[in-house]
Amino acid sequence: MTALLRVRHLSTSFQTEAGLVRAVDDVSFDLAEGETLGLVGESGSGKTVTALSILRLIPQPPGAFGPESRIEYDGVDLLRLPSRELRKVRGAQIAMIFQEPMSSLNPVLTVGSQISEAIRAHEPVSRKEANDRAVELLDLVGIPEPGRRFRDYPHQMSGGMQQRVMIGMALSCRPKILIADEPTTALDVTIQAQILDLLLELKERFAMSVLFITHDLGVLAGVADRVAVMYGGSIVEQGPVRAVFEQPAHPYTRGLLHAVPRVDRPSDRIEGIPGSVPTATAWPSGCRFHPRCSECMKRCEVDAPPSYSAGTDHTARCWLLDQSEGQRQ
Amino acid sequence: MSESSPGPLVAIENLVKHFPASTRLFARPSYLKAVDGVTLSLDRGETVALVGESGSGKTTLGRCVLRLTEPTSGTIWFDGTDVLALGSADMRALRRRMQIVFQDPAGSLNPRMAVGTAVREPLEVHRIARGKAARDRVADLFEEVGLDPSLTSRFPHELSGGQKQRVGIARALSIEPEFLVLDEPVSALDVSVQAQVVNLLTDLQRSRNLTYLFIAHDLAVVRHVATRVAVMYLGRIVERARVVPLYDRPLHPYTASLLSAVPVPDPTVKRKRIVLAGEIPSPRNPPPGCPFHTRCPHPLKDARCTTDEPALRELQPDRWVACHYAENPMEKPAP
Repeated sequence: MTALLRVRHLSTSFQTEAGLVRAVDDVSFDLAEGETLGLVGESGSGKTVTALSILRLIPQPPGAFGPESRIEYDGVDLLRLPSRELRKVRGAQIAMIFQEPMSSLNPVLTVGSQISEAIRAHEPVSRKEANDRAVELLDLVGIPEPGRRFRDYPHQMSGGMQQRVMIGMALSCRPKILIADEPTTALDVTIQAQILDLLLELKERFAMSVLFITHDLGVLAGVADRVAVMYGGSIVEQGPVRAVFEQPAHPYTRGLLHAVPRVDRPSDRIEGIPGSVPTATAWPSGCRFHPRCSECMKRCEVDAPPSYSAGTDHTARCWLLDQSEGQRQ
Repeated sequence: MSESSPGPLVAIENLVKHFPASTRLFARPSYLKAVDGVTLSLDRGETVALVGESGSGKTTLGRCVLRLTEPTSGTIWFDGTDVLALGSADMRALRRRMQIVFQDPAGSLNPRMAVGTAVREPLEVHRIARGKAARDRVADLFEEVGLDPSLTSRFPHELSGGQKQRVGIARALSIEPEFLVLDEPVSALDVSVQAQVVNLLTDLQRSRNLTYLFIAHDLAVVRHVATRVAVMYLGRIVERARVVPLYDRPLHPYTASLLSAVPVPDPTVKRKRIVLAGEIPSPRNPPPGCPFHTRCPHPLKDARCTTDEPALRELQPDRWVACHYAENPMEKPAP
């Protein structure tokens, strides 16, 4: 498979009152054609900033990208593309949906007119044509009576219906890549199941690649082909979904999998990871997971580990994987 | 601690909470039936979980039990006392024995008050301890919930989400209650921290013989903490059972659908989900008959479901179901 999107050494920092804060630090990954890459992490791990960086939706200042950072789409570095050119990529080639559909929709415009406007922003079609396509899109995303709901305002819809509208709008220009940032987190489980089914179906139908951001390992297991686990602004483990769930190579991934309660099997006790999730204003030294890691060694406190192979197409940043002579302590 | 009577610690009988929902001045009054006739009891030392989707009435029910929201009708017994018949002075005395922990620890702590003071305040309000005695007690409570006592002088924004929730728990425990309403106590926490707080709650329950009403939408967490589970839909309990039989073989089609919709963190498990059509109807205008009939996937669903509301029946000991066809439950989708 060829990589449609290639992210290399992405670092995103913010100038804050507390000084320069590096929210995303040296993140690299590929998104292949037709695949779903699940980006999983807890709050503050940098997964949303990574997604926003891809579309350059980070205001600069206070945000800034590191000089090594590259985001290649179709052979072009999006970080160095003039804004005018970038606008042709955003929405048309790479579209994004968010956790809170209500905060992305304009409350004073009907949902139909918003979709129609999105189409006309990218394609030279008449208003009538754009409106007709908006109705088709509402139908496509499973909104009953699309002709009538076209004239609804966002507040007249439930959270699930609003998310369907967002998906319809994101697909209006047939993007190659869909970035979905926690698209079902605000929804009840029965509605989440509906939206996940819809996303999987549309992904197949339009042969899209999906970057799916979530904190929920259950959702991740159901949607992703490959997984990248983020912690402390970096990707600490990356690999095929089965390999990462069955042979997690990083102690954080192992801890996370033990910490998540399962609905399908009983257990008396679930084991958490001691300590707290770190924040970008005070990353720990060395490996950022070391203060919480049960297998922490001396060098972990000082040096950040590089990426080691942990199997086919499977890597992890952990000194435990260092095979070189005399390094295991 | 007071003399305790035999029987359940908390017994809720036919509790109703209707909120006025008229939007127009001269319109016929209409009501939002948030809680519509709930009967539930909690034995000492057990955890009863209240689960359901948003709008099911679970939070309103929890607040009614503590009289933070005044119920419209029904009865609540606490250790043999009729809670709704109490005057304000007696109610204040009873509140020492029942406390609540909220979902959002940041929103329930005063941002300008040191967290140690927040935990000490109830001791002073209820005249349990003051001065050095109170401060010593706060330090003990901090240790009991797994916080370093040196954190007492910190302010909420200086603590992590998990630490704030521990402060919320210490504050609720400060006056030594017997009964806690836990309203989504771990929903706002990260997975790695959530497990710590769940285990803390379990340990505290054992050491202090606490009784919990655990309100949650996360059915996976509930499986790990609850003794018994009540599933709510549109203000009513549709199924109530001990945790193991409920998860192994749900008898109400709503319970079955809800359980099948919870994602499992295992890519090799391709579960067949019962995907429910549509969304939860508005509690302002609940459907006639069985409140679930508009979304019910049960193959035996018929005209009777649209007209007759099924009663909550005891099918097996300690196993209550409100479905006309509970004797023929939907098959659990094969894993």
